[in-house]
Amino acid sequence: MTYDFAVVLGYWEALLQGLEVTVELTLLCAALGSALGFVTSLARVSPVRFLRWISTLYVEFFRGTPVLIQLFWFFFCLPIILGSDISNFIAATVTLTLYTGAITSETFRASLKSIRPEEIDACIALGLPRLTQITNIVLPQALLRAIPTLLSNFVSLFKESALVSAVGMADLMFVGQNISSNIAKPVEVLTVVAVIYFVVAFPLTRAVTVIERKMLAKLAI
Amino acid sequence: MNKSMSNLSSAKSFSATDSTNKSPTASTSGQALVKVSNLHKSYSPTIQVLKGLDLTMAAGERLVVIGPSGGGKSTLLRVMMGLEQIDSGSITFAGQPYITANDGKAKTKINLAVRQQIGMVFQHYTLFPHLTILQNLTLAPRKVRGESKASAEARGMALLTRFGLAAKAGAYPNQLSGGQKQRVAIARALMLDPKLMLFDEVTSALDPELVAEVEQVIMSLAEQGMPMMIVTHDMWFAKNIASRVVFCAGGVVVEEGPPDQIFNAPKHERTREFLDRVFHI
Repeated sequence: MTYDFAVVLGYWEALLQGLEVTVELTLLCAALGSALGFVTSLARVSPVRFLRWISTLYVEFFRGTPVLIQLFWFFFCLPIILGSDISNFIAATVTLTLYTGAITSETFRASLKSIRPEEIDACIALGLPRLTQITNIVLPQALLRAIPTLLSNFVSLFKESALVSAVGMADLMFVGQNISSNIAKPVEVLTVVAVIYFVVAFPLTRAVTVIERKMLAKLAI
Repeated sequence: MNKSMSNLSSAKSFSATDSTNKSPTASTSGQALVKVSNLHKSYSPTIQVLKGLDLTMAAGERLVVIGPSGGGKSTLLRVMMGLEQIDSGSITFAGQPYITANDGKAKTKINLAVRQQIGMVFQHYTLFPHLTILQNLTLAPRKVRGESKASAEARGMALLTRFGLAAKAGAYPNQLSGGQKQRVAIARALMLDPKLMLFDEVTSALDPELVAEVEQVIMSLAEQGMPMMIVTHDMWFAKNIASRVVFCAGGVVVEEGPPDQIFNAPKHERTREFLDRVFHI
């Protein structure tokens, strides 16, 4: 049996459109999700017990269940409960945002914890007001320290986003599956799709390593 | 060692404003700058660190606190900076109430206006790693006093120049040696024109060859008349900079006096034991 990879080239426009959907969805959910994750990380160390409780429940639930079930729930179950349809785009965006929020909140929580207590002592000794301590010392360092892990989180999101093909969103995975069944060449098409995912994800993974090294060097004391 | 001492005599004024701090001893001499009364502090019901510590410091004095680890030296300085809650006792500063224990459940009361007049340098590096050296210096003056960026930067550069660190103004803390970091930490505290400086084992974490450059800076501040309270394990430094030495052990002041007396003719058995151990390495 011979494989004809050249035939996949004929579908490059469709694949590119699929990739576009995947990248757009990833960027949208990365932005919304990390904003949600940051607020959640603050809620988890809040002095208000209710905020701690609800944010912990949210994080643990979304980390502890498969993304596919979350997606199906928002796409198939929520419309039944609400009695109105939810588009696959909305369901996918909500699911991946909530998932990313849960994951990145842990990233932010770890980076907030990494601020050395000695620096807070110094803040007090310098008489810095509490608000200044947060805006000028704690937050900038927490955000800088979070960047490498956040990028890793985004790479995971990029890959996990293939799941949205299951609710019929025309992302790269969905387009690949369609082409492969239409022309009955799963080996060629799905291999090419995998390579496309890899070609996008790999430089990001490498970038994480480089940025991490630079960041650690800069914030070392 | 001699190098340090000659530097001491040629020290220039380190006051960041230049005009305010000419002679703090002349105007306020005689009056107690700090009065610590019956200070009790525990970290848990079983770990009592300060057990009724009393201490008086006159304006212009350089108090060096020595003693065994766990004897309460560093805790005393942290309480002085308002970093720790206390169980009972009080501290006054230049006659004003500064730190008061609220008996019962309420927290220790700290007079923030007084706290702003005290500067502290720590054993561990406490520079903010994401800010440049100059930004480390100007942050507090700008945020605490509302000083303009230009004015704070001018004062900061002047201080860095005097400390021989002007070339490092735009560098980040991790680009500096340990000794340079501690000198910057001292400069950062001086930016707020403190009336009292606290030094908590500031050379303990340094490589031996970097100790002298930090001690020189403290020496020249001493020369300028800056009141200071120093916790150190460096007995040579203690001897040379102290106007009075306080031996602290078991959470109380065991003995105090001029450096000559404490180091050459200690009265208490406990002081003798400690010094014997330190000098018989």
